[in-house]
Amino acid sequence: MKNIFPKITILSAVTATILLGSGCTKLDETVYSELLADNFKPTAGDVPAIIAPVYSNMRALSAGWQGMFDVEEESADEIITPARPNGWVDGGTYQRMHRHTWTSNEGQPNGLWSRCFTGINTANRVIYQINSGEIPVTTGKENVIAELRAMRAFYYSMLLDNHGNVPIVTDYKATGLPTQSNRQQVYDFVVKELTESMPLLSEVVDKTTYGRFNKWAAKACLARTYLNAGVYTGTTQWDKCIEQCNDVIAQAAKGSYALEPRYKDIFKTTNESSKELIFSVPYDETFGTEFQIHMKTLDPLMQQVFPMQVQPWGGDCAVPQFIDTYDVDDQRLKDTWIQGPQYSASTGALVITFVKTVNGIEKSASNEGYRIGKYEIKPNAKAGLSNDYPIFRYADILMMKAESLLRTGKADDAAVLVTQVRQRNFTTAPAKATVTGAQLQGNSVYKYGHWENGALATQQNLNIPYGRFLDELGWEFAAEGRRRMDLIRFGIFATAQWFQHDPSSMDKALFPIPATEINKNPNLIQNKSY
Amino acid sequence: MKGLLRLFLPVLAGILLVHTALASPPIRISGTIRDVTSHQPLAGASVKAKGSTRGTSTDAEGKFTLELNNEKAIIVSAIGYETLEIPLTGRNDFSIDLKAVANDLNEVVVVGYGTQKKGEVTSAIASVKAENFVKGAVRDAAQLIQGKVAGLTVSTSSGDPTAGTQIQLRGITTLQASTQPLVLIDGIPGNLNSVAPEDIEQIDVLKDGSAAAIYGTRGTNGVILITTKKVHGEGRSTVSYDGYASVQTIARKPQFLDAADYRKYKAQGYGFQDFGTSTDWFKAVTRTPWSSTHNLSLQGGNRQTSYTASINWRDWDGLFLKSDNRQLTGRVDITHNMMDGKVKFNVGAITRTRTYWEGADGGSFNGYVYRQAVIRNPTDSIKDYLGNWKEQNVYFYDNPVAYIMETLGQTREKENRIYGSVTVTPIDGLHLKLLMSNVRSDNQRGYSETKKHVSTVKNGRNGYASLGEGNGTENLLELTGDYTKSFGAHKFTLLGGYSYQDGKSEDFYMQNWDFPTDQYSYNRMQSGNALGRGEAVMNSSASSYKLIGFFGRLEYSWNDKYILRAIVRHEGSSRFGMTHKWGTFPAVSLGWRISSEDFMKNLTFINDLKLRAGYGVTGTAPDASYISLTSLNYGARFLYNGNWIQGLSPARNPNPDLKWERKGEYNIGLDFSMFKGALSGSIDLYKRETNDMLWNFPVPVPPYLFSTITTNAGKTENKGVEILVNYTPFRSKTFEWTTGANFSTNSNKIVSLSNDVFKTTTNYVDAGATGEPIQTSTHRLYIGRPVGDFYGFKSIDITPDGKWIIEGADGKPKPISANKNEDKKILGNGLPKYYAGWNNNFRYKNFDLSVVIRGAFKFQILNFQRMFYSTTKNTQYNMLKSAFDKVYGKAVLTDDLYFVSEYIENGDYVKIDNVTFGYTIPVKNKYIRNVRVYAAGLNLATITGYKGIDPEVSRTGGSSDARLTPGNDQRDKYPTTRTFTIGANVTF
Repeated sequence: MKNIFPKITILSAVTATILLGSGCTKLDETVYSELLADNFKPTAGDVPAIIAPVYSNMRALSAGWQGMFDVEEESADEIITPARPNGWVDGGTYQRMHRHTWTSNEGQPNGLWSRCFTGINTANRVIYQINSGEIPVTTGKENVIAELRAMRAFYYSMLLDNHGNVPIVTDYKATGLPTQSNRQQVYDFVVKELTESMPLLSEVVDKTTYGRFNKWAAKACLARTYLNAGVYTGTTQWDKCIEQCNDVIAQAAKGSYALEPRYKDIFKTTNESSKELIFSVPYDETFGTEFQIHMKTLDPLMQQVFPMQVQPWGGDCAVPQFIDTYDVDDQRLKDTWIQGPQYSASTGALVITFVKTVNGIEKSASNEGYRIGKYEIKPNAKAGLSNDYPIFRYADILMMKAESLLRTGKADDAAVLVTQVRQRNFTTAPAKATVTGAQLQGNSVYKYGHWENGALATQQNLNIPYGRFLDELGWEFAAEGRRRMDLIRFGIFATAQWFQHDPSSMDKALFPIPATEINKNPNLIQNKSY
Repeated sequence: MKGLLRLFLPVLAGILLVHTALASPPIRISGTIRDVTSHQPLAGASVKAKGSTRGTSTDAEGKFTLELNNEKAIIVSAIGYETLEIPLTGRNDFSIDLKAVANDLNEVVVVGYGTQKKGEVTSAIASVKAENFVKGAVRDAAQLIQGKVAGLTVSTSSGDPTAGTQIQLRGITTLQASTQPLVLIDGIPGNLNSVAPEDIEQIDVLKDGSAAAIYGTRGTNGVILITTKKVHGEGRSTVSYDGYASVQTIARKPQFLDAADYRKYKAQGYGFQDFGTSTDWFKAVTRTPWSSTHNLSLQGGNRQTSYTASINWRDWDGLFLKSDNRQLTGRVDITHNMMDGKVKFNVGAITRTRTYWEGADGGSFNGYVYRQAVIRNPTDSIKDYLGNWKEQNVYFYDNPVAYIMETLGQTREKENRIYGSVTVTPIDGLHLKLLMSNVRSDNQRGYSETKKHVSTVKNGRNGYASLGEGNGTENLLELTGDYTKSFGAHKFTLLGGYSYQDGKSEDFYMQNWDFPTDQYSYNRMQSGNALGRGEAVMNSSASSYKLIGFFGRLEYSWNDKYILRAIVRHEGSSRFGMTHKWGTFPAVSLGWRISSEDFMKNLTFINDLKLRAGYGVTGTAPDASYISLTSLNYGARFLYNGNWIQGLSPARNPNPDLKWERKGEYNIGLDFSMFKGALSGSIDLYKRETNDMLWNFPVPVPPYLFSTITTNAGKTENKGVEILVNYTPFRSKTFEWTTGANFSTNSNKIVSLSNDVFKTTTNYVDAGATGEPIQTSTHRLYIGRPVGDFYGFKSIDITPDGKWIIEGADGKPKPISANKNEDKKILGNGLPKYYAGWNNNFRYKNFDLSVVIRGAFKFQILNFQRMFYSTTKNTQYNMLKSAFDKVYGKAVLTDDLYFVSEYIENGDYVKIDNVTFGYTIPVKNKYIRNVRVYAAGLNLATITGYKGIDPEVSRTGGSSDARLTPGNDQRDKYPTTRTFTIGANVTF
């Protein structure tokens, strides 16, 4: 028996040697359906694919489910998502957005935060990869970096507007938790980045720069930042805004940009060729499918009308008080909102009739409220539209300049620009297109007040400085995901009543820092009064 | 050397010759050994001459012959029987009756890489033999032991004939990694469905870490060792047939409004639409399903070679139209001994093919059909006057009959398992074994929707089809050596081994639509136009992994009184970060046979008393490969110069520090057997601590690329008690009653979700989803509390017009329309605190009856059925009859859909789950050995206050999210059924 132990020992030793020697302890794995970063050596030809995520991120952010469109519209006085027979309560989130009682757990503003930072982080990563030589860009390296910096500044401009006090991160390799900057610092950063990158940005306006940040997009972004500088920093920058607008207007004179002769065409399915678009987010029903505004607004029955390949979900609609502000001859009323009887594409039968009134935010019939029809819904539309979503368009440049002129005492000059924008919308009553400086300084025609049971219950007496100009912005840019910003700038975001929204606090002009982000990063301090 | 040998051999031969010559003349004895109660002959019983190595075993007729010298007695033994010593008093023909051992201490328990006698076990191991299995239409191996093993929860929360069981052992120990136990079929990894339930002889469950540590990384969720039916010793060849037929009904039909109700309420002013007909939609999509199962097995062989072969055919229909499951399993196992038993070969194969209707794109049944059946207007007709399916233009509202009838699909699964081993016994007590196996699985799915399906009728797809394929290969090589030796009171066994496992899996999926005809179904994918237009999806992926382990086990016992076992496994997985691939998992356990102590000698009513204690560490690897790596993938498109090019993005936050999740488990147990084994049982106390728990930790972007990173953060703790008692109140030749009860309790706690790098700043994580249009989470996971807390608004009252009043954060009532997130509260918990099972077996003459009762207590269920179908507000959809009952006796609910505490119900239940009544027909036939017929029921009766269909709802689930949200009784589902079975076993 005793001699067994050596045998076992020898056997074990031999076995162990065989195992170790033959690679039976190697834990290598074959990677099949992923690209290992270590094995991927990018070339200059890969640059478009590498910068792609900086831009493709904009699709979900803009017109996607609970994207920026909802953040800026549901909190404002043009669009509501009332409870419908088929739902649309979703724990009360749409009602909280309307009543300004959102919390730091609200999906819409939180989604905006995380999507912006995803874009920022991706821009930082690519800038680092190019700067470090990881991606070998030989010619035009500075131009690519300038474009990425400008795009990053654009993401920051959205955060500046919505959350205000956010961390500024530019170093991809920094591993620590980011520290928070205040709104003034974020403003300064946006201005600095746009200004510095401006000279290196492309001035070309064609399909090579379409959907990308060229010099004119940067100028539009800078103009918008200056336009709201008073809100962001307490110091207005009207002249600087005019300066940036003038540069774009000068470029337009060279044939790059123009107002679309027909308002509808700015938003048509194939709007990528529109000269009015300065910066837009390209969508495609096949390749970039996140455009869902029509799915959220249309009643399910509307599937038969266009017809559509999918059944829409039926939710948001126009605030009746806003509809009442339109001039009857303003074609934008019809071009922006789906209203009245709707007929089946196949049988011609009446399918649904949209009425203007809406009972309340907690209760509405499926046909109540005009629906967003601004973005053309082509026959056989799918869950994602191919229409590109305008971020900056030429009319916006003219209106930013007009507002800056108006607020610096040049009301008549402003009126010329506003009239220019209005003209295409009053073909049946051309005289009505003209507005005067005095009119622009007048009050709003919006009957602000509290709505109950399908009717205006109490009206507010608001004297809104330049209220008529605010109305002009409303008519021109309704359902373009920006109304909240305008209401804040015109000072009524927290004071006015519309539909079932009652006055809140100016602190609501900033969204709370998302609770999830504070949980992840203790450096972040919550915005005031949240 | 050679010369010496030459000299030695003749001398040896001489000695032997002389020795033989000197011995007294041998006596030849013979006899028959039978079971004392059944009088059936016992094959394979051992007969040994006392004080000698001379021995033999009985043949198939229980007969033996043995030559004796001058021994004074023989010792007769058989597994499961009391050993007898019979003095030789000149007789040479014996008729011996053996009595079955009442206590089960000598039963063989299968442990990792070997077996132990139950009396020697030092860990928490449960063993269930075929005669105690749940009978009837059993889905998989786990259902055989449902309600039989304390601490192992087996639940069947779906009526889908393709569904398996859900298993949970000793609480929730991991949040992100798999909770599936390691299933070994005769030592080779597989799943609960790899072998037909009728072909299983024994199932052993290694519950605690001190036993499971031998399996290292795969042992955390317990190890289920399945032993298939095999030939024991020599025996005459047998052929046995098991067959049964079953029929099902829904466990409890939900009570929705019928056409008469619709008209009644419409007359009262409710907005229901009356289409003028009457349809029972539930009846329209269901049927009375009949199923049959046949199992034929052959066993036989001789001293050298034995074989087992079986074939199993299950032809099962489900409650819903078209829903089915057809499975054919074949198995062959051959063992051959040679060189006087020094070398043993075993080869075998199991092949399984399963075919079932694919009613959902990528699944067996589309739960949405059930939803549509219950919410459809009962005054509407199935077809219009032209014979077309009647559809309405209502949101998420489709004809459920059309959905089923216009869907064609089939899933075909194949699994082939081939294995072989060679065991060499060069010297007594030393076994060296090489085991190799190869498992290939393949599943092909085809699915199509005709042009009469909603996808075309409403959504204009013009015919839809998809095709999917997944296949995997796993290879295993194991080398083990064990050596057992006794000297004096000492006995030890040493085991060492090496294990190598690798695997590769591949997936493919494509879809297409806009087909010129329905005729192709999913068989000519290129005929669709959508893929060419870039609209349809086509994707594929492949991944691989490796798992390598070294292990050893030392067992030592002194006088069978003090037992020590120590285990260590050193294991590496390719799924981990560069620096953390290897982990070491030790375990130690001790046993003390108190009953063998002298001071216990007088307590004769105690047959056995053993105290066990153990500690073991096991690990868990992530389910997916590659998650530690820095990878890129092409994906989301970008409009570049007029073309939609693919963007290149990182695949995840890489974590090169990813390492093993480690579970340490303490187990203390007591095994007892008294009154000659009439009363026996065990008690186990355990505490399991999971450290370095795999968790998708939320991280800020930037600096991270994505908002979560898979890392080792957090700690959970599970404590519990398990009690098993078996008692035989009465036993005689004609009547026997055995009863067994088991009880378990578990308390679970999330201790932390942080580590040194990643620290949480809040003490909770939300999980679960109600789905639209409620759109909220259902659960909140609090650090310091158990998994499974429901978290929502506490409804306390209702307004006169039927709107909820909830308790606000300040404790005061408020209307639900003014709700804030802060008003939410913990409303209950979905994990049962207690489980109990009570099994009874009666035998009277040839009749037998077994009753399995089991229950779960102290837990809540979120009744989605009531949450979605209890408000009278939306009359576009049907609703429960109870929607018109006054809430709190005050008002009928007219509110929007909300998740409120009213829908959290106590789930406590007792199920009379399995009742089997059998009769063994006395046969006096040369060819037929045994015939038994039986009738059985499954899920027969449920005693519960729960208002849903079945309180046995999903408590674990495959996905991580499902695990964090136990107790959600979803609205889209395949309701559970009650099954009645009649069957017969015939042995030839």
